[in-house]
Amino acid sequence: MRYIQRQSAFARGLHWAHTIACLSLFVTGLMLFIPAVAEAVGVGAIQGARTIHRVMAVVFIGAPILSIVVNPKGFKHFWNSMFYKWDSKDAEFMKKFLPYLLFGAKQHMPEQRELKSGQALADWMLISFAILISISGVFLWIAAANSAALSVGLTRWMYVVHDVSMVLLGVMMLAHIYLGAGVFQPYRGSIRLMFGDGKVSESDALYHWGTWAKEELRKGDKVTVE
Amino acid sequence: MAETAILYDASKCTGCKGCQVACKQWNQLPSPLSADEYEFTKSFQSPLNVGPDTWLIIEMREVDQEIGIEWNFTRHACFHCTEAACEIACPVGAISHKDNGAVVIDQEKCIGCRYCVNSCPFGIPQAKSLGGTDYSKSFKCWQCFDRTSNERAPACVTACPTDALEFGDRAEIVAKANDRVAQLKELGFTDAEAYGENELGGLHTIVVAHRGLEAHGLIRDPKVPAETSFWQLLKPLGGIAAAATVGGLGLSFIMGTGYKRGELEYDEATDTVKKKEVEQ
Repeated sequence: MRYIQRQSAFARGLHWAHTIACLSLFVTGLMLFIPAVAEAVGVGAIQGARTIHRVMAVVFIGAPILSIVVNPKGFKHFWNSMFYKWDSKDAEFMKKFLPYLLFGAKQHMPEQRELKSGQALADWMLISFAILISISGVFLWIAAANSAALSVGLTRWMYVVHDVSMVLLGVMMLAHIYLGAGVFQPYRGSIRLMFGDGKVSESDALYHWGTWAKEELRKGDKVTVE
Repeated sequence: MAETAILYDASKCTGCKGCQVACKQWNQLPSPLSADEYEFTKSFQSPLNVGPDTWLIIEMREVDQEIGIEWNFTRHACFHCTEAACEIACPVGAISHKDNGAVVIDQEKCIGCRYCVNSCPFGIPQAKSLGGTDYSKSFKCWQCFDRTSNERAPACVTACPTDALEFGDRAEIVAKANDRVAQLKELGFTDAEAYGENELGGLHTIVVAHRGLEAHGLIRDPKVPAETSFWQLLKPLGGIAAAATVGGLGLSFIMGTGYKRGELEYDEATDTVKKKEVEQ
């Protein structure tokens, strides 16, 4: 069977770093967000969690920025795949997506490009919320380090922005894991793309990203036979 | 324990700062020991604001009048609000109300996150780093709960030479404040007002402001900041959003049980996709 190399080792490495950062930020942040948890774990654990939260924040913000500097070509490819003009197929995809989540076997989806319409939209939302949570986080870090640097009113708003984007990011992340890790039955096997060797089988590629798969199979430079 | 309150009658205050000193002394709060450590501001007020080691200040509020300087003294310290923004914002439950209404920070539980510092509408709690590997802790007036729970008045009250500070049953203190305002009005202080009976669900420091709230720098109709309230509302909202998402995805997963699809194969020569049907 033929396989297409969809995710490079670089992309997977970045995704690994961001997964670890994101999940540990989420867990350590929730310890403060849910008072019952904070009280249960005690002061020592909270202080440890706050330190981890800061270290991981550096990874969360630094890794993507570093990846752009180190691999501008890869970033350009990613950027280009995120920008494209929507056509009738994309509109049809979005309209059918919710029924597809419930009746995956019966719902026929229109052929998609390298990023599905819904995938690009979800990625845009994830990136936007990630930027919001990062900016507010940096502000809050500055405020914690030097209380005179930020007005009290601005700090209060930053708490709100940080937590609103956390909730939105959390909800998006649940869906991202459900689909990306292939918990959803029609997406089985897609975990290999980011946590395996980054390859997708010809059959799965044609099913998910038909237009892109055909193009890659014709070009052949990323195709291997196993 | 019945609710108690401190009465601060600005019309009786002489700005002697005895209360400030007594507060420092009883609560063992250090002060700068070198000259000019506080900025010189031309005001008699010192220091300029409350801080982690200064839980009470008397604000001088000097105003130039034809006859000379007029003093609109204010006691700036925790008001011990019933609806306390600091308590609402604290993520670890370190701030709580005592039975008598005093709002107290449990230093054992405080993690120094400064949520209370940034939420209090009066800017009362202040955090300081404890040095070394310790994190910050937040500090403020605790109405000398160690004294009041042993039937003693707070340290500041015992120090006042003019009875501008009193401590007692909250209902009696409120009545006293209102009587005093009526008396002051008769004496010609037409702007005199009492502060704290209903503000933020009822404060546990009642103020008699003989020249009106604004003159004494008291916030008229203070509120828990809207950002702080909304921020706290996010906790249940976030929980509901997460539960709804998990529920929806769970339903999707259940509906997908037994899903199978045929293998697809692409023939570049003819540009066609062949599908092998699965055996159900």
